[in-house]
Amino acid sequence: MATAWPEKHDHELLALIQDGNSQAFAQLVERHTGRFYRLAFRYLQSRAAAEDVVQDAFLKLWENPALWQPERNSKFTTWFYRVVVNLCLDRRKRKSAAALDEESEFADDRPAADELLIQAQEQKILEREIAALPERQRTALNLCFDEGLSNQEAAEIMGVNLKALQSLIMRAKTTLKERMKVFL
Amino acid sequence: MTANDPREEKLDRLLRARRVDPAGPDLAQRIVLRARQTPQNPSLSLWQWLRELCLELHLPKPAYVLASALVFGLVIGLSTPDRSAINGNDSAADASVQSVFSTDEGLL
Repeated sequence: MATAWPEKHDHELLALIQDGNSQAFAQLVERHTGRFYRLAFRYLQSRAAAEDVVQDAFLKLWENPALWQPERNSKFTTWFYRVVVNLCLDRRKRKSAAALDEESEFADDRPAADELLIQAQEQKILEREIAALPERQRTALNLCFDEGLSNQEAAEIMGVNLKALQSLIMRAKTTLKERMKVFL
Repeated sequence: MTANDPREEKLDRLLRARRVDPAGPDLAQRIVLRARQTPQNPSLSLWQWLRELCLELHLPKPAYVLASALVFGLVIGLSTPDRSAINGNDSAADASVQSVFSTDEGLL
């Protein structure tokens, strides 16, 4: 795996990728795969699906390096978050509602004696309720609670101003509190 | 919905503790390997396209081609006879044009 240019900035690596440099591509992939995978997993709740999305996103960049236009995008990660989010949304749209329901089924009649079991159940319900949120609220939540992303960055990724983002998060949290009141 | 709302705090805690299954340890490597098997589709600028064309047709570098074309154009331009040099034959040329017109008119 490439570790040739750990000191190079993303935009420098991207310029090399545009010249067909596969080592620069390897460096960029190694640097950012983890964070984009985490985001994709939060959307798709499936390791295989999240890995596929991240792979597709990076391969798109490799195949068409001119997609990245430094004069139009301030930061690679901001732009690429958008690419990954769009791929996740496309994938979710392709899935049937029936498949989603099946995926988020959980055994709610289990005895809640074990603390770990309760936590697991809480998480499962939370994921189901997040999946049921409107698309923009879900995106705002996924971006803001992803480590390392400020509200300002999340707003930039979504193409909204800070106030609009905060409003989306507030609405999402209000809905979640209402739907999960038994657990909160 | 104050900051001290225990429900809000618990929800925040749950949101931060969302479980993420770790990715396969070789995910990055798999992506790089797939990319190595995939050709790039670079979108060429006009200059890059010209360079590619020169390479393809085994022509010299585009800069040389352009400079040669410029010099060639200048040489042709300078070697073209001056219009004033043929002014002396103008009346003869006019006469032949006139005769062509009059022949056409005669046919009509």
